[in-house]
Amino acid sequence: MNAKIKETLLNPIFKGNPITVLVLGICSSLAVTVTLKGALVMTLSVIVVTGVSSLILSILRNTIPSRVRIIVQLVVVAMMVILVDQVLKSFEATYAIDKQLSVYIGLIITNCIVMGRIEAFALGNKPWPSFLDGVANGAGYGLILIVVAFFRELLGSGTLFGFDILGRFGYVTNNLVILPPFALIFIGCIVWLQRSIQKDLQEK
Amino acid sequence: MNTNSNVYTVIYTTIVVVVVAAVLALVSQSLKSRQEANEKADTISQMLTAAGYGAKAEFGKMGNTAVLEKYASEIEEAFTINPSGEKVADLPSGKVFSPKELKALNYIIKDAEKAAEAELPVFIFKNGKTVVPIYGAGLWGPVWGYVSFENGTATFTGAYFDHESETAGLGAKIKDDPEFQARFVGKQADFKAEERSAVFEIVKGGVSGEAGGVDNKIDAITGATMTSKGLDDAIDTWLYAYKAYFNANEAPESCAPQGENCCCSGCEKSCCATCPCEKCCTSEDCTVSCGPECCSEQCGCCGEGCCETKSEEE
Repeated sequence: MNAKIKETLLNPIFKGNPITVLVLGICSSLAVTVTLKGALVMTLSVIVVTGVSSLILSILRNTIPSRVRIIVQLVVVAMMVILVDQVLKSFEATYAIDKQLSVYIGLIITNCIVMGRIEAFALGNKPWPSFLDGVANGAGYGLILIVVAFFRELLGSGTLFGFDILGRFGYVTNNLVILPPFALIFIGCIVWLQRSIQKDLQEK
Repeated sequence: MNTNSNVYTVIYTTIVVVVVAAVLALVSQSLKSRQEANEKADTISQMLTAAGYGAKAEFGKMGNTAVLEKYASEIEEAFTINPSGEKVADLPSGKVFSPKELKALNYIIKDAEKAAEAELPVFIFKNGKTVVPIYGAGLWGPVWGYVSFENGTATFTGAYFDHESETAGLGAKIKDDPEFQARFVGKQADFKAEERSAVFEIVKGGVSGEAGGVDNKIDAITGATMTSKGLDDAIDTWLYAYKAYFNANEAPESCAPQGENCCCSGCEKSCCATCPCEKCCTSEDCTVSCGPECCSEQCGCCGEGCCETKSEEE
């Protein structure tokens, strides 16, 4: 693996994380992090959407008329989002989770990470690096989602993946953790942590 | 090639849109049967939840096949009725109504001209619960669900609601909060109500303790006034359409307190079935004659001045 590809893959996970550094995709990360399962399904959906739509648009990049660039991007991303939604609805295991995530799967299209990476990366790079960039950004987003969901489900419901963990020790569930404001507080803490490690992000 | 010319742009976008549409249509068609199977199992588990066979979450873990089997073993009868309360036809085995079908039915019920032609589903389970669907508009999208009644009477025994896009944590509680659904248990629908809106009430600000009348009020959800109103309206609209069916099942309540000569004092036939007065409903009292309107099959006997025609028939 050459250094550039490695950089493409690893940068969005930590140093250039879409949520904590670029502060994109906050809305959905508040909404879908109540349960780990929901966060995991959302993560996979976003990875597929960002990866594949970056790939498609990177292949098409030299043929797209620049005036309708955004529209073509939207059509491709929307197609991917609908495909993901349709597939989730088709399997017993994911049907309930798709219902629980309801509008948020459809709203992946409005997730700035997707369009942002296509504009900033896929339209100027070859298909393979673009695909990796999309996947890595989806994974960077998902990483934060899963970390937040882990604590929210554990503290809010006393469970992980629906299995009772803290409840058996007599833990009283904290309803504040379930509500969206807590996710914002928690993401704020992660941003704080990251900035104290990565000094170059701090504003002077 | 000049990718910025108008002709190129138009042709390019057309091709992109057509290709995307074709892909989506293909995928949608090939996955349709699977999605419908999932939706059906989900609908059935909602009905089973309303009928009191367990919590919705447990049915979700059972898997589709197990849910269908459970339904097949527990359903007693499923048929449609018309707004006059008469049975129209049996439903095919395993037939349930998807939210789309309920939506279509909802239009018919609300349309004054077509309302009389509506065919409303009734599901009777082996545990004696009568389950009927409801459908209406919430705040952001449709809300629907199932309510169950004890043996076709007006007393609620359970409810389960679903929604498309109500606010999580507020309106979504109609689905996610078992405590809200439990508020229905033991309450009654007022099928005698003249006004549609008086059939059932979800009250903002808490139910006041005043007695009297039918116990048909529950608390609304805090912070979800519009969803509560929408659900209230959905329940009113649908149960009002079912009122003839439920009224036919139940003894008129006004009959009950008429005392000793309940069956003989000209109260309705159906009153006699639940007649509380022992005196007029034991066989010893049947020696005296009575009018034809009182000696129904259910009555069996009457008090003074009754049973004329009965002895003749025998």
